[in-house]
Amino acid sequence: MEHKHYTNINQIPKPPAFTMSRGLHFIYLGLVIIGIEAFLIALRSDPDRAWHNFLLNYFYWLCLSLSGLFFVALQYVTGSMWSTPLRRVPEALIGYLPVAFVLLLILFLGKHHLYEWTHLDEVLHDPILIKKSAYLNFSFFAARNFFSFLVWGLVGFWLVKNSLKQDRNGDVKLTKLNKKISAPFLVVFGITFTVMCFDLLMSLEPHWYSTIFGIYCFAGLFYSGMAITILFVVAMKKQGALADVVNENHLHDLGKFMFAFCVFWAYIAFSQYMLIWYANLPEEIGYMIRRTEGAWTPVALALLFGKFVIPFFLLLSRDAKRNEKFLVAVAVWVLVFQWLDCYWMIFPLLGEKPVFGWQEIGIFLGFLGLFVLTVTLVLQKIPPVPMKDPRLLEGVNHHQ
Amino acid sequence: MAHKLLGIVGIFKDPYHLLRAAKEVQTRKFEHCDAFTPYPIHGLDKILGHKRSKVPWVTLAFGLMGCFGGLGLQIWVSAITWPLNIGGKPYLSIPAFIPITFECTVLLGGLATAAALLFFCKLPNYHTNLLDKEITNNAFALYIPAKENGFNENDVKSFMQKAGAYEIKMVE
Repeated sequence: MEHKHYTNINQIPKPPAFTMSRGLHFIYLGLVIIGIEAFLIALRSDPDRAWHNFLLNYFYWLCLSLSGLFFVALQYVTGSMWSTPLRRVPEALIGYLPVAFVLLLILFLGKHHLYEWTHLDEVLHDPILIKKSAYLNFSFFAARNFFSFLVWGLVGFWLVKNSLKQDRNGDVKLTKLNKKISAPFLVVFGITFTVMCFDLLMSLEPHWYSTIFGIYCFAGLFYSGMAITILFVVAMKKQGALADVVNENHLHDLGKFMFAFCVFWAYIAFSQYMLIWYANLPEEIGYMIRRTEGAWTPVALALLFGKFVIPFFLLLSRDAKRNEKFLVAVAVWVLVFQWLDCYWMIFPLLGEKPVFGWQEIGIFLGFLGLFVLTVTLVLQKIPPVPMKDPRLLEGVNHHQ
Repeated sequence: MAHKLLGIVGIFKDPYHLLRAAKEVQTRKFEHCDAFTPYPIHGLDKILGHKRSKVPWVTLAFGLMGCFGGLGLQIWVSAITWPLNIGGKPYLSIPAFIPITFECTVLLGGLATAAALLFFCKLPNYHTNLLDKEITNNAFALYIPAKENGFNENDVKSFMQKAGAYEIKMVE
């Protein structure tokens, strides 16, 4: 397919604003209501299960939002040109962070249903937890979460603000400023995200520890983040907002990223699994026994094949990554298995058998509606393409 | 002594003139032409009608061979012919075999890729004469072999000249 080659930034046609139909707005709003209903009913019948579902979805959608923040910062640091035309999508994903913060406050209400270490009487009878209580106590836990949100929110807001300011004045200095913000932020992000994963998920089993756990979660974050970015980019391309500026070469690159992190996730997941399996230490092995033995074996195997083997072969060929419909299907597949990964990390604590019912579906749909509504509201408000970004011209002319 | 004409090479100063000549090749449906340029030129392979390389298929085939070969060897050695108790683990301990399986995949895939590249590029080759010493520096060359269907010496010369070749050589 031949693409139009632009020699001047002014030749690029001004893209139409992104809009989502009223009907879809109502559908997503309906999903939010379904989610709230499901959560409230589940709270009454089985509060433990309701809160574990809440934690699962809180973490899942927060990771998708953070993937936008990480991606934007990464693109500035590497000076990438190709991603400039579609940068508004990851920027809009950041818009979910304030919503996630409110959800964090709600999550705090369920702390006694989730975290053993918040029960003072149990901690007092457990010598290990007493020693860990300097770190694992609720006020420090809340402070760490607040601090991470403060950093993510401020940097995210700052990066997007500069990017939107550039839409008006086209100042090259703003690109350079964003690069300077992004570089130290990537380091801070690595630390804050690891701390958050340790706090939210690893402390569910406070006796267990794995130093690679943060990277494991990060691999899933980037993997699923590329999937959600592909979905939004294709939706905006279909709707017209990105039709002139994004072509199959951009999709190819997003697909390559997704493929790379499919392998990276498998590499990290196996590194974590093999060390624990080989050493077979009593304080570590319990985590893997609960997750790979008995009724959880099929879930663990589904993860191995669904999150690594099958998408690996699906994304292996060049044509697969350049085919819009195929890539969208794989992206949805990846998002489903990212959910299963979070489920596999959290739900073995509820029982020896995996449970799946209306609670899981309903609460997931609620978060889905909330996430899509938030992100599309942001996307509709901001110009869909950074038209005065000095890197846009190269990005639009992206070829092999 | 009259040699048989093997082909004609046109030498150009820049990629735009080369692309112009390559488009003439495209309209004549020549299939064995090749271009020699100091750096890659986007879209040139498409115009010259070059098909995608077969190297990735070789990599896949040998990678899979390395994967299953490496895994099979370990299973055969540690669980079938000479069962050995290591750390109280079962004889058939797939997780312990994965790192070596991975290494075998990468090793066989990598070596096969390098070998396939040399094979498909017909390298090493000490017998072909250099078309022009400038093509590793600042010249762009287009070679059209005489075996093409509908090859006409005067026609090729004239379209090369029209496209802007500063030198046209007969290869004999």
